[in-house]
Amino acid sequence: MASVAHPVREGGGIRGPNIASADVQLPAVRDYEQVDRDIIGTLGFTKKWFLGLSVAVLAMLIGASAWIYQIYWGLGQAGYEPPVMWGNYIITFVFWVGIGHAGTLISAILYLFRAGFRTSIYRAAEAMTVFAVMTAGLFPIIHIGRPWKFFWLIPYPNWRLLWPNFKSPLVWDVFAISTYLTISTTFLFIGLIPDIAVLRDKETNPMRKRILSILSLGWRNSDREWRHFAKAYLFLAAFSTPLVLSVHSVVSFDFAMALTPGWHASIFPPYFVAGAIFSGFAMVWTIAIPMRKWFKLEHYITLNHLDATAKVVLFTSLVVGSAYLIEFFIAWYSSVRFEQEFFWNRVFGQWWWAAWTLLLCNMAMPMSLWSQKLRRNPTWLFILSLFINLGMWFERFVIVVPSLSHEFEPWQWGGYTVSWVDMSFLVGSFGWFFMWFLLFVKQLPVMAIAELKEIVVPRTKYAHEHGVDTAGLHHPYGTETPGEDE
Amino acid sequence: MRGVTGAFHELDTTVAAIEDLKKKRLGDVTVYSPTIRHELDHAIDAPVSIVRRFTLVGGLLGVSFGYWIAIWSSNYWPLVTGGKAIASWIPYTIIGFEVMVLVGALSTVAGMFINSRIPRLTTTTGYDARFSGGYFGIHVACDASKADQAEALMRQHGAAEVRREA
Repeated sequence: MASVAHPVREGGGIRGPNIASADVQLPAVRDYEQVDRDIIGTLGFTKKWFLGLSVAVLAMLIGASAWIYQIYWGLGQAGYEPPVMWGNYIITFVFWVGIGHAGTLISAILYLFRAGFRTSIYRAAEAMTVFAVMTAGLFPIIHIGRPWKFFWLIPYPNWRLLWPNFKSPLVWDVFAISTYLTISTTFLFIGLIPDIAVLRDKETNPMRKRILSILSLGWRNSDREWRHFAKAYLFLAAFSTPLVLSVHSVVSFDFAMALTPGWHASIFPPYFVAGAIFSGFAMVWTIAIPMRKWFKLEHYITLNHLDATAKVVLFTSLVVGSAYLIEFFIAWYSSVRFEQEFFWNRVFGQWWWAAWTLLLCNMAMPMSLWSQKLRRNPTWLFILSLFINLGMWFERFVIVVPSLSHEFEPWQWGGYTVSWVDMSFLVGSFGWFFMWFLLFVKQLPVMAIAELKEIVVPRTKYAHEHGVDTAGLHHPYGTETPGEDE
Repeated sequence: MRGVTGAFHELDTTVAAIEDLKKKRLGDVTVYSPTIRHELDHAIDAPVSIVRRFTLVGGLLGVSFGYWIAIWSSNYWPLVTGGKAIASWIPYTIIGFEVMVLVGALSTVAGMFINSRIPRLTTTTGYDARFSGGYFGIHVACDASKADQAEALMRQHGAAEVRREA
């Protein structure tokens, strides 16, 4: 059987398949039963999983202990040093909100654009979104020092007769983040309902079957259910798409609405959104590449999928790279001395190492993705994802700390040292995030069973006009996973 | 719900059976499918989902509430800065938009639940666990007089299994 999805050598270089046509196909997946078998097979507990969960819980406990310590001793433990009164907590908050964006982007925007390569990775990305936003939401609460007062930001009738100031970007944040968490959780759950029904129907343990029956809401795969499901999913995607763009724009307003040099920039909203997509895709790699390997899902998350995501990462890297350079250009072009001084200080001043780390990780290293060979190399993509995650954390560091430590007058200039409490929170946030994710992957399908079935060629009795034979096999594709043998 | 349920392993035979059953008007046809298939949609030819109306109404209510809460509370607790307007529509558009998305999306989900008739608390006849796996299913709600005909038709189209629901 001829294989058009298989890479062929042309002129000495490796030429991969056309992503637009080949990525949607899963030629090594034969039928619906195989999808059920393979994806449900990922739910079995393993030693590696227990080990991973133990590490994550330990990291989470480090963060939790630091929080208790900070509540007892006060916010002074956080390493704040006037005038730098926003530090690790806000940096990490923006970092995790950014991570949370790729999930909805993959689910919603790529769904609306009918980009087939989303199918295999979107469930993991959606779960990542929910857990990342859950993680991000902790940091403003930690940052206020008295976490039990967090509800003061929520507008509700109260005995103080006070209302939050709706002209404040911090209040916009409350609305944006809480809406985003609600919608992304809803989006994840709605997509899960048909898959939970699959688990329910296959489950033999009565207790677990009962729980799955409740969670599946009595879903029966009827035409009526699918019809309304499809419409609801479409509208949720349509709502989520501008939401993705708005939420990180609103987060950027926390900075851009201030007059501080380095913050007061109209480029921040698109720059933050591109950065969020960039870092989110990197985190998708950090999660999906090991998952693909450990769960033996190479024929679901194919090299074509990784190739397509690598192109998105390359594109967003170019966008954020341009934004970095535009910031310098605008500082020069504005002739505002404070801006010029600040940007000079950014790359040659006290925080030069942070700025160069971000430029290296976010601008220079992703340029390797111009090479198709590297785009199709999971090991390199995984390594690159770690560097991008690091670079994106430093991007937020460079936005927050140098700006606050180098404002208008020299007497305002100061320093900032990350304390052990700060570091514990950072470690704890990763532990918290991965703990939830690891629990998720063993309880619910990490790939959307119903949607995978949508792209698997259905069994037919007679030859299909689109090239499906009577055994349900698609003519143009071979049995092997495209590109796996490179 | 009385009737006949057939399990089909192939998509094309399912489509053919649906078309035939609808032509013969043996009873209300419900189709089960492990995933969305456009072939089944065409065969069923159901009306467009009305979930969109829930979305529209929810979105409009949300945006109205978002603007209202911001304007009302600003007038109730005015923070006058430099003689600027107490209720300023540009920042309040952010609140309006976020609440529109929130209420609109939740209304969409409510619309889906109401129209799909879920959550379903009791098990109903006509469903088979295989319909979430690798099989397509057709259930025809009909009385005993038409059941024979429906059963024969499904078998003729290649149903892997046909059973009567009491």
